[in-house]
Amino acid sequence: MISLTSPVRTRAHDWPAGAKLAGLCLGTMVLFLMSDARLHLAALVAVLGLYALPGAVFLRDGLRKLWMLWPFVLVVALFHLVDGSVLAGAVIIMRLITAVALANLVTMTTRLTDMIAVVHWLGAPLRRMGLRTRPLEVAMALVIRMTPVLLDKGTALTQSWRARSPRRPNWRIVLPFTLLALDDADHISDALRARGGLVTPED
Amino acid sequence: MERNVVMIALFAALIAVLGLIPKITLGFGVPITAQTLGVMLCGTVLGARRGALACLLFLLLVAIGLPLLSGGRGGLGAFVSPSVGFLVGWPVAAFVTGWIVERWRGAPLTLVAGLASVIGGIVVLYGFGVVGMALMLEKSLVEAAALVTAFIPGDVLKAAIAGMLTAALAKARPASVLSRAA
Amino acid sequence: MKDVRLDQIDRPRRASRVTLDEVRFAHDRRVVLDGLSLDLSVTRLGIVGRNGSGKSTLARLLAGLVAPDAGQYRLNGIDVARDRKAALGEVGILFQNPDHQIIFPTVLEEIAFGPAQQGQRKAAAEDLARATLARFGKAHWEEAYVNTLSHGQKHLVCLMAIVAMAPRLLILDEPFAGLDIPTRAQLRRYLSHYAGNMIHVTHDPQDLAGYDQAIWLDRGDIRQTGASDAVIAAYVAEMTALGEADDIADLAG
Repeated sequence: MISLTSPVRTRAHDWPAGAKLAGLCLGTMVLFLMSDARLHLAALVAVLGLYALPGAVFLRDGLRKLWMLWPFVLVVALFHLVDGSVLAGAVIIMRLITAVALANLVTMTTRLTDMIAVVHWLGAPLRRMGLRTRPLEVAMALVIRMTPVLLDKGTALTQSWRARSPRRPNWRIVLPFTLLALDDADHISDALRARGGLVTPED
Repeated sequence: MERNVVMIALFAALIAVLGLIPKITLGFGVPITAQTLGVMLCGTVLGARRGALACLLFLLLVAIGLPLLSGGRGGLGAFVSPSVGFLVGWPVAAFVTGWIVERWRGAPLTLVAGLASVIGGIVVLYGFGVVGMALMLEKSLVEAAALVTAFIPGDVLKAAIAGMLTAALAKARPASVLSRAA
Repeated sequence: MKDVRLDQIDRPRRASRVTLDEVRFAHDRRVVLDGLSLDLSVTRLGIVGRNGSGKSTLARLLAGLVAPDAGQYRLNGIDVARDRKAALGEVGILFQNPDHQIIFPTVLEEIAFGPAQQGQRKAAAEDLARATLARFGKAHWEEAYVNTLSHGQKHLVCLMAIVAMAPRLLILDEPFAGLDIPTRAQLRRYLSHYAGNMIHVTHDPQDLAGYDQAIWLDRGDIRQTGASDAVIAAYVAEMTALGEADDIADLAG
């Protein structure tokens, strides 16, 4: 399954994921503590500037991801226009967009394998306590592997419906789909157990 | 052990696919995104603990950058958007839903699963969602609530569907409804 | 098989007019069908080609499940991708895997679904389903649960579900793949009684015995079309030659 990492290579792709995530946490906290409209404007411009650095494709991709915020922007704008507190509304909107843009930037410049490594690293204290993190890692891999397979089956069922009906499928299609997923669960459990299972002698 | 992990992973994948297939209709021609139906089913079928874990696993994968949210969205941006409460509330919603289904044995499963989905998937979930939205948009709880009331009728129908699907599943594959196993 | 009376389908056997005009279809930026043009009167048409040649996509396009990106396709003058209601009476499609096709838990519900979607009321649709079961000599399957059926039996349910809709043209997308020899033979026999027109997509020439026309699809293009014996002979010759080469070693990129 393709992750949301941008295919456009940037320098940020090579920075350590942990550092980027920590920076994101810090940056988001600062954004929520700031209240000055000018600072927010500067922050928004700076972040959008970062999007522009790797080129037009990257920028377009980033802006497209921000588009889904439009209902919130609209509602807040209307609210504050009616209320008269335009500046306060502008701060909320700018903060919103900057925070989401910053978070998306980290996602777009971090490879999936690096993110998984961070998850593994975050699990170190648990492992020191004696808990196993391998089931989590296997579970993550299973979801990544199975989602496209299930999607294909869901699509096949949808086509079977559309081949016999002029209407879109209704909720009844979820049942056979769930049954197919459960069948897969059985096969995969067997396969896992046949390959040693999740409980190994060293645990 | 393997079966649990695999079921949790499969239901996380199910939530993903329910967000990726084209919208299905409720039966009156009203198109809905089926993703929260998946969250309800995690609770009604897997039970409280496993259902919550499936949702947490799903959220973890979204956070690390997989496009599993409805419409192929994902990444860290989803967790700082105004709808973050609705995401963070999923594991809790699944837990509450599952807890009710596990414990309430006296009534038909359709009813139990349906009501559990309303309580977990709507009351609890919207609670988180509204609080999150109020915080992010700096509005009062009442104002935030007003923004989302339009979605409630659709979700009530989803809860009813979750009830019917759970009962149908229990009939077709009784062993798979882990919330009622033992 | 004494009770099979498929030939008593109401519609008389009239050829289906398939017209493709520079039809193009791409998926994920890969061109799957590359400017196909055809004008055929179909009674029994075979479509052969290697896996990956675009046969399945063509089958879905002919059934109206996908619309061409460019060019035009008409079935008996109807745009079956747009006019789904008319399409249901014109064309039905049977896919490869019955487990990915059967939607309902019981045989009766599954067979009654299509007629109900065509506009029949529930009771009438169920009666039609029972009549279809009777035609195939399977009246005793009425109450059966699908998950108790064998793989071959599920295939038959899928076939009945479409026959109940009485489409003029039946498209088969490799429906026999993976079946054991007796089941294959039995299903072939059921199909040979079908009174409507058929387009059978397959990579196994044996399925096309008795067909009058065939199309050979190669990498999204029509390699050859005409009398089925000639096309199949040419296709088999090339497949045998390729079997002596080693192109599965090549990666797609």
